[in-house]
Amino acid sequence: MEKVIVSDSPHIRGKRTTRGIMLDVVIALLPAAVMGCVFFGTDALVTILISVAASVATEFVYSLCLKKKPIEIIKSFDFTSVVTGLLLAMCLPSHVKWYVPLISAIFSIAVVKMLFGGTGKNIVNPAITGRVFAFIAFQSMMVSGWVAPTIAALDGNVATGATELTSILGGNGASVSLLDMFLGTGMMGCIGETCKLALLIGGIYLVVRKVIKWQFPVIYIVVEGFVAVCLAKFDFAQFLPSILSGGLFLGAIFMATDYVTSPNSTAGNYVYFIALGVLTAVLRAATKIEVVSFVILLMNLLVPLINAYIRPRPFGAPGLVERIRAKIEAKKAAKAAKEEGGKQ
Amino acid sequence: MKARNGKFFSRGVHFRDMKFISKDCPIRRLEAPAVASIALQQHIGKPAAPVVAVGDSVKCGQLIAKADGFVSANVYSSVAGKVIAIEKRANPRGGMDTHVVINRDLDADDSFVPLEPLKEKTKETIIARIAEAGIVGMGGAGFPTFIKLSPKTPVDTLIINAAECEPYLTCDYRLMVEQTDKLVEGFRLIAKALGVNHIIVGVEKNKPDAISLFEKYDDLDVVILRKRYPMGSEKHLIYCCTGRRVPPGKLPADAGCVVQNVATSYAVYEAVELNKPLFERVVTVSGQCVENPANLIVRFGTSFDFILEKCGGIKGDIGMIIDGGPMMGATMLSTDYYTRKTDSGLLLLPASEVSLSNPTPCISCGSCARVCPMHLMPMDIDFYTQAGDYIMAKERGGVLNCIECGSCAYVCPASRALVQSIQLCKQKLREMK
Repeated sequence: MEKVIVSDSPHIRGKRTTRGIMLDVVIALLPAAVMGCVFFGTDALVTILISVAASVATEFVYSLCLKKKPIEIIKSFDFTSVVTGLLLAMCLPSHVKWYVPLISAIFSIAVVKMLFGGTGKNIVNPAITGRVFAFIAFQSMMVSGWVAPTIAALDGNVATGATELTSILGGNGASVSLLDMFLGTGMMGCIGETCKLALLIGGIYLVVRKVIKWQFPVIYIVVEGFVAVCLAKFDFAQFLPSILSGGLFLGAIFMATDYVTSPNSTAGNYVYFIALGVLTAVLRAATKIEVVSFVILLMNLLVPLINAYIRPRPFGAPGLVERIRAKIEAKKAAKAAKEEGGKQ
Repeated sequence: MKARNGKFFSRGVHFRDMKFISKDCPIRRLEAPAVASIALQQHIGKPAAPVVAVGDSVKCGQLIAKADGFVSANVYSSVAGKVIAIEKRANPRGGMDTHVVINRDLDADDSFVPLEPLKEKTKETIIARIAEAGIVGMGGAGFPTFIKLSPKTPVDTLIINAAECEPYLTCDYRLMVEQTDKLVEGFRLIAKALGVNHIIVGVEKNKPDAISLFEKYDDLDVVILRKRYPMGSEKHLIYCCTGRRVPPGKLPADAGCVVQNVATSYAVYEAVELNKPLFERVVTVSGQCVENPANLIVRFGTSFDFILEKCGGIKGDIGMIIDGGPMMGATMLSTDYYTRKTDSGLLLLPASEVSLSNPTPCISCGSCARVCPMHLMPMDIDFYTQAGDYIMAKERGGVLNCIECGSCAYVCPASRALVQSIQLCKQKLREMK
């Protein structure tokens, strides 16, 4: 008899792997990355490359420090560090100095991901935390000195100074048209967040590949828009500028949907994304700055709580209504029994 | 009755059913082996107690081991010959069972000794005959059938599990298309034993000829089920056929239903009408590595070696030998094991078809929770089991409701051994009691 495999059931498995999912995310991010390079030139490309290379290298070195063999590390390479590096670069401005993506990427991977146990064990999104780290550590570069994209706005007005969102939040109104905001032309912002069309294409790819559910980013974006409208005293003209101007698309499609740091159950995810939408709109109005990354970071920390309290009900278990009804009936029965006892 | 569509069941997984390999092979009878090694534990519960000794001559269909205790089943000899040993031998699930080894007398008559004919067919006599014939659930669980037919709560529906949702297996399908009349008679006998009038037959959509054959009987309520694994799970079959949900921790009888398998129903027919004890069954021999795939009537105790030899042997590079279906069956080290009442298939698959658990860290993608037919959280069960916190696995993950269908492990992108975590956790919880 030849040698046969003896293993545990099930003996057939689906084709999907962690590596495949992460590759899909990288592919989905490419349109936005390419558009970033088109808009902001070689600066953007260099930032992206430094960030990705630093992420991958950090993971490799960290694994070496854990006394893993290089061949094993390469074999188990699952593209999560590429995703982190790419996402981090996408939410950095193109004009930052070369050491900003480098240090932020090292921080993202070494501190946020590997210190907590590597892939799947981090409690907050490494890319988001890396961006927040850069925002705090290199504040002057992160909030000012925005560079206008090389492709000018359709109507010829190129805004200078502040990003679109901060200008809207500051009450100065939008300086470019909605179409410009959607395409990213003539609009300032971080490398990956300006071209909404590219992000949308990436998002649709992820939905088609069944990596994410379309409901989740849509909920985040729509809820954010509506709450912004409500806060602006039901000025519905605010809806589109609010959702198109900042990093909401990037955050909603790629950051908030990160598997590791979002709730496990479908119901939990609905709660998570609605809370994200509400908090983003409220905090944007309150602080007048872009808060998507901070809100996602905050909600990441609440995920264990959501997981603990929002769980699916086992098949066949009574629903909430039935349980309440059963409780009321039990109480009634107890009361009736008591009265019966009292009579005797 | 005209077939109707079953209720929608969205969870579970969908895959190629691979039934085409053996779907068109008519059932044929495999000759009796030279040596039959019959296990005394072919069911859930206590092993049967042997009533023969080494050196005894036995006839085919003679009782060789008697049910020991309430949850147990009689075991009959499948060949005529001499008992040469009663010893511990390995079973395909990895344990050791006592086997009665019978050396076949090559000149002896292979036909069986019938049980005493039933004078009248009433509820009690049918149930007694099912117990006497040693019939157990032949879908894989091996729970003694007579116990299932004496439910403690009143039932009004008999559901026949004709879903056969495991890929590759076709033994039930062949019985349905070849022995329809006898099978339906078996359904009626079981319904009579239960005292119910409503018989539902749940068939998956991929067996249209079976559906059209069953439609011809007026007393059958045929339900077409969506092709989905695990449609054959009792609780989901009941939901899809009747819309009733079995609460967690409860039995199908609590929802007024009893579920019986096709092969079991056929055994009931044979036991009641032909007075035949259970000593053989239809086994599917399939997979890309079998020279001649087949559906064979195999006597219990026949070695898989013998079956394989009669099917032309191995073709190409063999990767895995499975006893049962690929989702819930067990892999075997070799074909040096013996058939039992619960063996529905012998599969020989190439290494390219099977996939091993090669766990990488869980990325909490939630795929397992999305496909879980019991609406559990397998990732939580795995997490807490790995951490040794079995109580939390029970509370957070609901591990005790798990039916171990393997859907979660099938979709897991990190290919984690979720089913094994669950089994380990259940075992530990049992030990804690």
